[in-house]
Amino acid sequence: MKRFRGIGAIALAGVAALALAGCQQGSASGGGGEGDGPITLEFQSLSDQPTTQAAVKEIVDQWNTDNPDVQVSIVQGGWDGAYDKLITQFTGGTAPDIIHFEASSIVSFAQDGYLADLNDLVAPDLKSDISQGIWDSVTQDGKIIAYPSTLQSYMVFANADLLAQAGVEVPSGDSMTWDQFEEIAKATTTPEHYGVGWGLKSPTATVMSMALGFDGGFFEGGGADASIDVGDGELAVPGRIHDMAYADKSIDPTSLTQSGSDVLASFYGGKVAMTVQGSFQATNMAKDAPEGLNWVALPPIAGTAGAVQAANPQTYSINVDSPHVQESADFLNFFMSGDNLAKIAYADALIPSSGEARAAVEKLAGDDQAWKQVLASGEGLEGPPFLKVSKYQEWKDTVATPALQQYLADQISKDQLATQLTDGWADVNG
Amino acid sequence: MIARRPRYATVLMYAVLAAYLVFLGFPLLWLLSASFKSSRELNSLSVNLIPIEWDFSNYANALDRQNLVTAFGNSMLVAIVTMIVAVLLSMPMAYALARLKGRLRAAGTVWILISQVFPTILIIIPLFLVLRSLQLNDTLFGLILVYVTFTMPFTLWMLQGYVAAIPPELEEAAEMDGAGRFTILRTVILPLLAPGLVATAMFTFVSAWNEFFLALVLLQSPELYTLPIALRSFLGAEGQTQLGPLAAGAILATIPSLVIFGILQKKLTGGMLAGAVKG
Amino acid sequence: MTVIDTPAAPTPSKKPAKRIGARVRAQRKEAIALVIPALLPIIVFSAIPLISGVALGFTDATLARNAETNFVGLDNFVALGGDTRFWGSFGIGLVWAGSVAGLTLISAMGLALLLNSDLKLKSLTRILALIPWAMPPVVIAIVWRMIYNPNSGPLNGTLEFFGIPGVNWLGDFSTALPAVIVVGVWSGIPQTTVLLLAGMQSIAPEQHEAAAVDGAGAVRRFWHVTLPALRPVIIAVTALDFIWQFNSFGLIYVLTEGGPGGQTMIPPLFTYLEAFRNREIGYASAMGNVLVLAILVILSVYLVNQFRQNRKVRA
Repeated sequence: MKRFRGIGAIALAGVAALALAGCQQGSASGGGGEGDGPITLEFQSLSDQPTTQAAVKEIVDQWNTDNPDVQVSIVQGGWDGAYDKLITQFTGGTAPDIIHFEASSIVSFAQDGYLADLNDLVAPDLKSDISQGIWDSVTQDGKIIAYPSTLQSYMVFANADLLAQAGVEVPSGDSMTWDQFEEIAKATTTPEHYGVGWGLKSPTATVMSMALGFDGGFFEGGGADASIDVGDGELAVPGRIHDMAYADKSIDPTSLTQSGSDVLASFYGGKVAMTVQGSFQATNMAKDAPEGLNWVALPPIAGTAGAVQAANPQTYSINVDSPHVQESADFLNFFMSGDNLAKIAYADALIPSSGEARAAVEKLAGDDQAWKQVLASGEGLEGPPFLKVSKYQEWKDTVATPALQQYLADQISKDQLATQLTDGWADVNG
Repeated sequence: MIARRPRYATVLMYAVLAAYLVFLGFPLLWLLSASFKSSRELNSLSVNLIPIEWDFSNYANALDRQNLVTAFGNSMLVAIVTMIVAVLLSMPMAYALARLKGRLRAAGTVWILISQVFPTILIIIPLFLVLRSLQLNDTLFGLILVYVTFTMPFTLWMLQGYVAAIPPELEEAAEMDGAGRFTILRTVILPLLAPGLVATAMFTFVSAWNEFFLALVLLQSPELYTLPIALRSFLGAEGQTQLGPLAAGAILATIPSLVIFGILQKKLTGGMLAGAVKG
Repeated sequence: MTVIDTPAAPTPSKKPAKRIGARVRAQRKEAIALVIPALLPIIVFSAIPLISGVALGFTDATLARNAETNFVGLDNFVALGGDTRFWGSFGIGLVWAGSVAGLTLISAMGLALLLNSDLKLKSLTRILALIPWAMPPVVIAIVWRMIYNPNSGPLNGTLEFFGIPGVNWLGDFSTALPAVIVVGVWSGIPQTTVLLLAGMQSIAPEQHEAAAVDGAGAVRRFWHVTLPALRPVIIAVTALDFIWQFNSFGLIYVLTEGGPGGQTMIPPLFTYLEAFRNREIGYASAMGNVLVLAILVILSVYLVNQFRQNRKVRA
């Protein structure tokens, strides 16, 4: 009896495994007619701002009018839970043909082999109009896995009145150094308010991005062979933030546990003189800031390696199992053309990837000061090493985020942080 | 009552009850207040239960966007059908579990336990594959079947307790009169079970109405989305939460369950008499 | 589940009579007819996925496209034995589920006693008491994030009004887990209250009266009449609450995402990261199997203990 049960269990495991494996090479559900009729491409879009949705719809409608044989239908999704949904769709074989997401999250699907290589499909003009740094962020093992569309950077927004009160001049120029930033923070810290509020509830993305300004790449190599190196360059950004919060006391330590939007409330309320936010917040500030608040965007912060940050663009990828990879690419080449991309970027307050679209956005923005700084900060975006690392997501969620949270809460020392990050990687990748 | 209570004790009891209700009800009140605040006020440091400037546009915004109305309809359909099907399916089985003891009952109990302990996240992909092979993925019907199955452990457990509380002598009397099992079930058990069925119905309705993860993963077409999915889309990408419309939508999502509670409340408390957990 | 259609094991030793055998067979037929409608969806949508989930724990399955899956025996479990982060999260899970189940029971007991007494406005208070149940979990998390907000939340606002400095509830290492537990208790109270209330109403009034005649006060009546009568309900409700809380990660995920610094990283959240973020579904399923085993052991210890006490009380 016992033996039979053992074998029965194994057989069962085999069946389950077969069922799982056997169903994986599913095709995209969008298929449409294989024959002569028009084909339909499913386009899963995550854009959630009403204006952006309208822009996307307008572009798709235009394409559908021009191309009666290749119809695109929008499947509206949401950012929240998008990853969970996609992973089930891919594993279950029902993923759409065209997939909107972002570079650092789409990477794992590329590594698992679900995305088409776009090297020969991207229109040559578009390819040369987007900087190599941005292309790097969507390249895996020499394959281009997505069209990079729009990007954000981290920017410093300041309350000009509080700066003036402290006798600080609003810095001008192409960038400001970390030292300058720390000086302003100290100068604007008073008993009533802190110099800086910085929403670092999820600190990893910010730290990994800004560390590039100190040549802090964290990872060497790619795939499963990647090795980690946590040195001075990597620790510069968390170290400086930590010292500002606990030595200079110029960063509000509570803000380090909050989300960016929570900290905006403190900024609006005059509790902090400056706040570091994603560049897209510029539009929210225009909408939500109290009438009298005189806010400005400061030049991008530069480390020893310049004002460099990680490019983590939103992306448009093609399902490798789609029966219509070529048509999907044709559509995306149209979707990514200068004017179209500019419309989307402008609606989302994000930086478009291509030069043509950037020029178009500049025109749309007129002489808006914040937009100028937003676009300027886009110059220093580079593809970061971590996007090439297989187990980055897991390391980020289970190692880096808790460790950084502990360090930024002054619970562990800088050395312990370095040890946790390094040993955690050995655990995860081991 | 049994003994006269001193006056101070009564006052104390009301005070404690009031404290409970504040604790349980305040979050809903705060949500209601948020739903009337402007985006500017929500993103400020002010702490007010009464909005400084009343803003009614959140409700219009919420209803305007993300097909909230369609989602409301879908959720209503899914929750009501789940409720009916779950009650219809689990009643006979609960009866069997309670009356026909033995190994079936042991197996049932073990299954109930394991199905509640094993993390849902690990079942989701096999479940998705099963649904797809039955062509039921991306249909509300498939979602309903899944909800029925997933609420069954609790409904069975609850209902068999109610059945066990009904004295077997009643059935035996009917049996003497020559009634078959199903006649007995219909004429003797069903009426006595009514309150328990109401409680079960409430539970399944609320579970199906609130469920997010399965709906997110199993539904693909936006026109099939249920309310929790539509609500989550207000959360947006990192830091883009639209609190006002979200709060308004959340209020609208909470009302149906409250209404159901209101309607069933009398039956519920009366019906819970049976002692669900006996048996 | 196979119990129904396999012929009964050779153990009808006690009932040799032929007539009874026929009756048993008839009963089995009835049982099948009663059970099949519910059993079908259970097998298709619950048993099959569950069994494949359990089985996957013995393989190296991943979610990659066309991935090869091999049977690896107990390798996953051996690796899991040395996974300190998993066991750390397991400890947090026990604290979380244990305290939520315990505190929910205590608070719900108090509320149920009040609702069961002769206070006025019963129907209104009973609906109000169910409010947390009516709110979808996403909404619960969002509201409580607003309430706990260190700068603009009503909780700190009230504290500061009384001159007490505010607390960074969800962000501070020492308060994050307790703060999340409060939300867990809050959302669990209605259901537990309803079940306890049901149990209380099934206690015959005569029992209370008899105790009152003996001169027992309210406290002693609760201790010697209500509590013993409620014991089976209490056991079942706490066990169920414990399982549910141990297994639910939606609330914590939206509230803290396991932060700050891993203080609220409960096992299902950890399993989720392993299964979906890292796509190692085999290893994650092994975690699931270990969780099932661990919970079953804990529960059986608890239940055996409780039933033994129960017998003692009765004796």
